[in-house]
Amino acid sequence: MPRWVRTAAQYLAVLLAAVLLNFALPRLAPGDAVDYLVPPASGVQDPEVRQRLLERYDLDGSAGSQLARYLGGLLQGDLGVSVRDTRPVTTVLADRIGWSALLVGTAVLASTVIGVGLGFAAGWRRGSARDVGTLGGVLAVDALPAFFVGLMLLLVFSVELGWFPVYGATGSSRATGLAWSVDVARRLVLPGATLTLAGLGSVFIVARAAMIAEVGEDYLFGARAHGLTERQVRRHARRNALIPTSTASLLGLSTLVGAATVVETVFAYPGLGSLAIESVRARDYPVLQGVFLLLAVVAIGVNLLNDLLYPLLDPRVRRGQTA
Amino acid sequence: MRGSAVPLQRSTRTLLGVGVALLVLVIGAAVLADVLAAHPPNRASGPPYARPSSAHWLGTDDLGRDLFSQLLHGARVSLAVGLIAATLATLLGTAVGLVAGWVGGWVDALAMRLVDLTLALPFLVLVLVLAAYFGRGLETLTLLIAGVLWARPARLLRSQVLKVSRFGHVRAAQVMGASVARILLRHVLPRMVPLLTSVFVRAAAVAVIVQAGVAFLGLGDPHRISWGGTLFFANNGAAILTDAWLWWIIPPGMALAVVIVGLAFVGYALEERAEPRLVSHGWRRPVRRRLPADPAPPAPTGTILDVRGLTVRYGTAIAVGQMSIAVRRGRVLGIVGESGSGKSTLVLAVLGLLPTEGVVAAGEVVLGDVDLRRIGRDGLTALRGREVALVPQAAMNLLDPTMTVHAQVAEVARRTAGRDGAAARAHELLELVGVARGRHRAHPHELSGGMRQRVVIAMAVANGPRLLIADEPTTGLDVVTQAEVLQLLHRLRREMDLELVLVTHDLGVVRAHADDVVVMQDAQVVEHGPVAILDRPEHPHLQELLARSPSLDGPIRPWSQRVDAVVAP
Repeated sequence: MPRWVRTAAQYLAVLLAAVLLNFALPRLAPGDAVDYLVPPASGVQDPEVRQRLLERYDLDGSAGSQLARYLGGLLQGDLGVSVRDTRPVTTVLADRIGWSALLVGTAVLASTVIGVGLGFAAGWRRGSARDVGTLGGVLAVDALPAFFVGLMLLLVFSVELGWFPVYGATGSSRATGLAWSVDVARRLVLPGATLTLAGLGSVFIVARAAMIAEVGEDYLFGARAHGLTERQVRRHARRNALIPTSTASLLGLSTLVGAATVVETVFAYPGLGSLAIESVRARDYPVLQGVFLLLAVVAIGVNLLNDLLYPLLDPRVRRGQTA
Repeated sequence: MRGSAVPLQRSTRTLLGVGVALLVLVIGAAVLADVLAAHPPNRASGPPYARPSSAHWLGTDDLGRDLFSQLLHGARVSLAVGLIAATLATLLGTAVGLVAGWVGGWVDALAMRLVDLTLALPFLVLVLVLAAYFGRGLETLTLLIAGVLWARPARLLRSQVLKVSRFGHVRAAQVMGASVARILLRHVLPRMVPLLTSVFVRAAAVAVIVQAGVAFLGLGDPHRISWGGTLFFANNGAAILTDAWLWWIIPPGMALAVVIVGLAFVGYALEERAEPRLVSHGWRRPVRRRLPADPAPPAPTGTILDVRGLTVRYGTAIAVGQMSIAVRRGRVLGIVGESGSGKSTLVLAVLGLLPTEGVVAAGEVVLGDVDLRRIGRDGLTALRGREVALVPQAAMNLLDPTMTVHAQVAEVARRTAGRDGAAARAHELLELVGVARGRHRAHPHELSGGMRQRVVIAMAVANGPRLLIADEPTTGLDVVTQAEVLQLLHRLRREMDLELVLVTHDLGVVRAHADDVVVMQDAQVVEHGPVAILDRPEHPHLQELLARSPSLDGPIRPWSQRVDAVVAP
């Protein structure tokens, strides 16, 4: 069996597991699913109402038929309807995913560039004052909870200095074109910076360790012996250190998505993270399930991407596979 | 791999000390919360939104609850969640990792895919989703956090098990029929202890952050006072719009930071102990030396390289002592000696490539009329490959694994061939050393040792050096390849008009390929002159060396006897 078939089969199995988990969670959880939709305390005990609710959210019938309907709906891109505003879950998700992609994408890019730069510089001179200083500083910044950092940035730059708007991703005005883009960019700065700081630490640690592992390598001595300048020698080291770093920073994406939930909540940013929180608060579990499924698919996709990308980065693995 | 065997670097010890101090501070707050706080944390004890006063050191929140008391009691929640969740996660992860790594097969595949999924999903979102269905009590939450955190330890443990299970004594125990449980507990697990402690500390930090995050989102246990919860109320109470943030937001936020910084520092130190590979290369600032003011006299005519009284020390050990050699135009110099005699150190010192611990204590090195001690680091870099080129020891391992050999030769050749001419020049050079055109796009791992050796030689001569020093050019190659490489060096010498120095432990090579010889022993030159002196050894050390030296040609005998042996029937 070729390697890629096995890999594909494994990823499909994981995807199926995520879907089944998503199906099972609300049904296995203690209590009646309707209790989540309509809390017993709200006094709606009419059996007819309950039955209508169960039907509406596909919670009636045997577990088997429920699963069949659930999977059938999934295949047609039907994730159910939101409890809060009865819109299709897919529409609700589509409204939010762009903002999440913008925010998380910006943060991934920025934290990778900064973290790799700092990490490589520190690792190259391991144990120097610069290394210990950066390491301590990054570990300390990394330790600040994202919501705390977010609140502090809000406090300083929005409330005290008034440089940036406080909440949201777009202003209420119907600005278009350039003005709209500038507004969006301005509103992205603080949540983006918060999330970047949240993701910086893990990238830095990995990049630094990867560079430290390269520093003693023989090919660097070889490069020096042939008269390459110190800049060229470092470029060789960076090339090699990038291999472990890139996969680790891809996999660190999930940490950022997690941090995005709190950051989006602090800045009232309309992404998937704040959507998940709103859904939990409103007991809107079809939407919560939708968010969870979407994130699971993205996570699995990132893992797959990582598996596919690694051989391209490391020629030793590339040849090893075809041979 | 046992932690105690690896000393921590000083910088790491500092981090560890700071980390422990921070944690002790928080533990103290948690233990003494009831003694130090005058008010209950979760009941109103004053007016709402009170500013700090002697009664309420940090004021009160929107419900009139004492914020100082909340700060102290919050430490208990964070520490408890961190401790319990990390313990459970480490235990579960260890069990899964041990079993998956040891059993292998589909159990392993399944477990690892589950680990992939768990690791790929954002922790916080996963916990939030689970908590939405299973309840938000602190106990439930702690269990859920543990249920999400086990994956990382499981993966780490598994890879360690795979590594350890290949060790001899583990194999031996297996062969002798020890039970699986016994092997895992007696032979495998003890090696994991350093790794496990660092995993545990990391898990604790993540657990603390996740619990605080959940509480900050207002989805935590409404009956427990925690730092995240205090911040939730502060955020809802719009504390950032007044100066209440000073006593309402900063203290719990900083408290969380203190715990997590403490755990991060301790965890980092432990991780380094578990992974000694990270410890081995410490960087030291190169010693900046005053360049000598007076130039050394130029080398005599006919001498390319003149080394005069060179002494190199590693700390107090002398690697090269008072050494003088001369490379003369048109004559191949062989430097021969046992390993550890200082040959390679000599070569590295000439090229300015000594490791940072190596110090040139005395002597002069003159190349033509250039005093190498006076040209500084950049001068030496410019000189390498242009004037003096080196084929280093174990050259075949010196190629960058991520680049094609052609790209690597081209990078070096660019200095003289220019950006545009480098590619063509690299092809030329590779063909010159006998690497067929079809192999130019190969990566180093796809070539044999002999081929890689040729590539490194191509790189060494790429910029037309006047002098080529080959350090053990034949070591590690089979006999046929050895001969080919030596022939190649001779051919290059003729075609490229360069002088050659062969550094080797192999007397046979020197005798067959050099004109002059320098014999080194214990950091000293014990003999020098034309190669013929090898056959008329007068120096007692040289005799000793010759007697000990293994040679492809058999024991060295006096020249006359050798001729007789060949001629005689």
